[in-house]
Amino acid sequence: MTQPDVVVIGAGILGASAAFHLAERGYRVVVLERGAPNREGSGTTAGNLHIQAIHTRRPGQEVPVDSARLLPLQRRASDHWSQIEERLGADVELRRGGGFMVAETADQEEELREKHEWERRAGIPTEVLTGDEARKQLPLLSDRVRAASWCSLDGYANPLLITPAYLAAARRLGVEVHAFTPVTGIQQVGDDYKVLSGDRSWTAPVVVNVAGPWITEISALAGIQIRMSPVAIQMHVTVRVPPVMHHLVQHIGEGMSVKQVSAGNLLIGGGWPAAALDMAGRSTVSVPSMAGNLAQAGRILPFLGELRLLRMWAGPLAATPDEMPVIGEVPGHPGFFVAGGTYAFTLAPVWGDTLARQIAGEAPADPVDDLGPGRLLHDDATTPVSP
Amino acid sequence: MADVMTESEADVAVVGGGPAGLHAALVLARGGLSVVLLDESDTLGGQYYKRRAEQLTAAFGDFRPRGTELIRQVRDSGVDCRTGTLVWGAEDGGRTLFTSDVRTGALGRINTRATLVATGAYERSLPFPGWTLPGVVTPGFALHLATMDRVPVGQRVVLAGTGPFLLPVACALLEVGARIEALVELNHPYRPGISSIGGALRQPARLAEAARYLLTLARHGVRVEQGSRVLAAHGDTQVTAVDIGHEDGGVWQLETDALCVGFGFRPSTELPRLLGCDTELDPTGTEQLPVVDADGATSVDGLYVAGDCAGIAGVHAAGVRGQLAAHAILRRLAPERARVRVADLRRRRARALDRFAELADRLYPLPTTADIPDATQVCRCEGVSAGEIREAAATGWNDLHGTKAATRAGMGPCQGRECGHIVAALAGRGEGTAECFAARMPIRPLPMAATIEGQEVQ
Amino acid sequence: MSTNSLPQTVTVTIDGTPGQAWAGQSVTAALVSAGIWPLRRNPVNGQLRGPFCGMGVCLECEVTINGRPGSRSCTAHVTDGMDIRTHTEPLQTAAHG
Repeated sequence: MTQPDVVVIGAGILGASAAFHLAERGYRVVVLERGAPNREGSGTTAGNLHIQAIHTRRPGQEVPVDSARLLPLQRRASDHWSQIEERLGADVELRRGGGFMVAETADQEEELREKHEWERRAGIPTEVLTGDEARKQLPLLSDRVRAASWCSLDGYANPLLITPAYLAAARRLGVEVHAFTPVTGIQQVGDDYKVLSGDRSWTAPVVVNVAGPWITEISALAGIQIRMSPVAIQMHVTVRVPPVMHHLVQHIGEGMSVKQVSAGNLLIGGGWPAAALDMAGRSTVSVPSMAGNLAQAGRILPFLGELRLLRMWAGPLAATPDEMPVIGEVPGHPGFFVAGGTYAFTLAPVWGDTLARQIAGEAPADPVDDLGPGRLLHDDATTPVSP
Repeated sequence: MADVMTESEADVAVVGGGPAGLHAALVLARGGLSVVLLDESDTLGGQYYKRRAEQLTAAFGDFRPRGTELIRQVRDSGVDCRTGTLVWGAEDGGRTLFTSDVRTGALGRINTRATLVATGAYERSLPFPGWTLPGVVTPGFALHLATMDRVPVGQRVVLAGTGPFLLPVACALLEVGARIEALVELNHPYRPGISSIGGALRQPARLAEAARYLLTLARHGVRVEQGSRVLAAHGDTQVTAVDIGHEDGGVWQLETDALCVGFGFRPSTELPRLLGCDTELDPTGTEQLPVVDADGATSVDGLYVAGDCAGIAGVHAAGVRGQLAAHAILRRLAPERARVRVADLRRRRARALDRFAELADRLYPLPTTADIPDATQVCRCEGVSAGEIREAAATGWNDLHGTKAATRAGMGPCQGRECGHIVAALAGRGEGTAECFAARMPIRPLPMAATIEGQEVQ
Repeated sequence: MSTNSLPQTVTVTIDGTPGQAWAGQSVTAALVSAGIWPLRRNPVNGQLRGPFCGMGVCLECEVTINGRPGSRSCTAHVTDGMDIRTHTEPLQTAAHG
């Protein structure tokens, strides 16, 4: 297929989701991936499904996330994820065991209550529990937990399964996936884009750039300057242990997420910065981040001290300068779409659906005009996305 | 970090207290540098100069007294010997090493001006049906039990695989009273053809050693089957029988208490790979080795590699390579005390020993992984079969790392050390480069108590 | 090689049953001498596993020694009164069953 309807660049979770949602609508789609699918941020992320409002900063993050803004999208994502295994015909180790977001201080508890009010307005069911109430549900929580907000919709899915499941479903619908096919050029040919990889090419009226940390590079091939601020964050995983908890545990004041995955390993993350982002190879982990993340997780869940750390790794996060997601058609470049940015894992089904609707000329299920790529264009006097 | 890790400094850290590390530490300390020698094991010596426990030495005698003497010299030279100390990570080109006390889990950080990695090798295993049964072990395990603990791995033992190492293992087993049902050698190394004679003339001592072992086996009536391999191991809760197949198609079964299977050695290259040093394919075409110059310097400034982890060449080469690396480090850090002419002589010797290693690779080639049955488990830890790995690779989407992600092969506690070379062969994209799993911290599973409690104390 | 006399024999308890071993022997040697090969179950498929590499690489020989789980029996040495526990009981059901 050299003349598809859509060329998707990047076979991470967003590319896979976009391809699937487009194919469901009957579009002929080609997915081009520079390496193996799901290798970068999508395959190295924690796999959390954040339905309650997220904490606003990773450790070291300068600009806070406007978490209230994202809540309608998280509500939508929750509905998508509830149906995803059935829709894709695959087991992606989806677990909706609910999640705690804990507070250790009075200020943090106040933040929980404020966030609970946002969630109530967005139709996301949460409740604020006292420390004792939370410990009654999850006795592994330490006495340091003063309060916790509880959301029964939080959970996780295996990031190593969901993207391949999307791709497999997309292939069943006729999508072509070309791995190890780096895009080397994008030419405007009439109203179409000719996407080149070496001496191969595909020509289509629509290009979807979901290349994660490489969004800037890929856009530049089409003469579009999009500012991104990719970083590398790190994850930690323990050896397998018998089932001890089925909740997602996060911290309102600090980047922290802990859960036990289906295989039995405890996965500890929270967006702690890796030592270095290496776009050409493997990003390197930071031992101070390891120590900080484990100490903090152990403070909230002391049983972690009995476990052994099996492995840690760093992966890219395609952050934007304002830390908000980016999605939509690039102003002045009809047919050239971009999607990426923070919390892409949770939002992947929403972004796939949103892209498909936008490409079809329909309104998205939830408005996303404020998240469009226009604000990230170099030659554009950007306006802050936050109200 | 300062609150959870005990800090220390040394001019040079030597990681691994085997022949290469010991010889290097001695040269470095005598050259006036402060040296810290780190080994995960609770005694120095590594695999070759391993120490029998004190109480057993009293009864059974000293094992390899040359090792005892070497270790004594190292201790006397003022080297800071830290046994029971796992190096689980490193950064800054190896000038920062992260350690863990194997007994207490206490964390440490060592800052150095140069680091020598001498982490040796471990045995190469190849999967076959039944290889995960209790009682199926590596030859090295059987050797350790026989020499250190004076315990036969079984009353009846089958030894199999390929390589000269099977011979001393067989003799050690006979010495502790085991009956060897068969020594099953994949290749035909013991009817030397023309190609091996040239090498044999260069290293007559090694071949004489092999001949001595073979004579011992013959005296005990041990059946040596060349051109044969283990097809499967059988048993309920432990191995009780082994199917052996000959290359001419014959298959027979042996009853046994233990099956020892090994295919030579694999270098332990995690630390240099973690530090990002350049690597190249080894002569077997199955391993990525750190690229080193004649002195063991890697592409990472200040990081040196010596001994079998720089390519399998045995104990004598390891000692020489350790000394060469130490002299190179001396020239770098204390040029006024470096003895360059000695190093030149030793470099020639190291080259000769390297040639012998190449000969060994010609005599004992590795089998193909193509005939590993689909149902056979490849990754012992995560229980992943050859078929699952092939299936993941056949999508065309997956390189080695994608195959790991898709199947979980290599994600278990051994970190892919046992299966990595097999997964690489099965998932290889066939461009003539054997990939390997990325080395990741911690190099071994790390107790988290120290990190967590250390922070609590703060 | 000097062979004075047999080494000192000490008492170790394996899964609650007292037995004899030589002080300083590796714990795997004591287990193998006692005829105990399966030490644990693979957490994925429940298969019985025993010592394999004998040098601390494969982690198949982990047992509980004096209450400390995850101890590699191949690199630990026997001391008087040591309590060794294997873990060959059938697995619990999978996480979140």
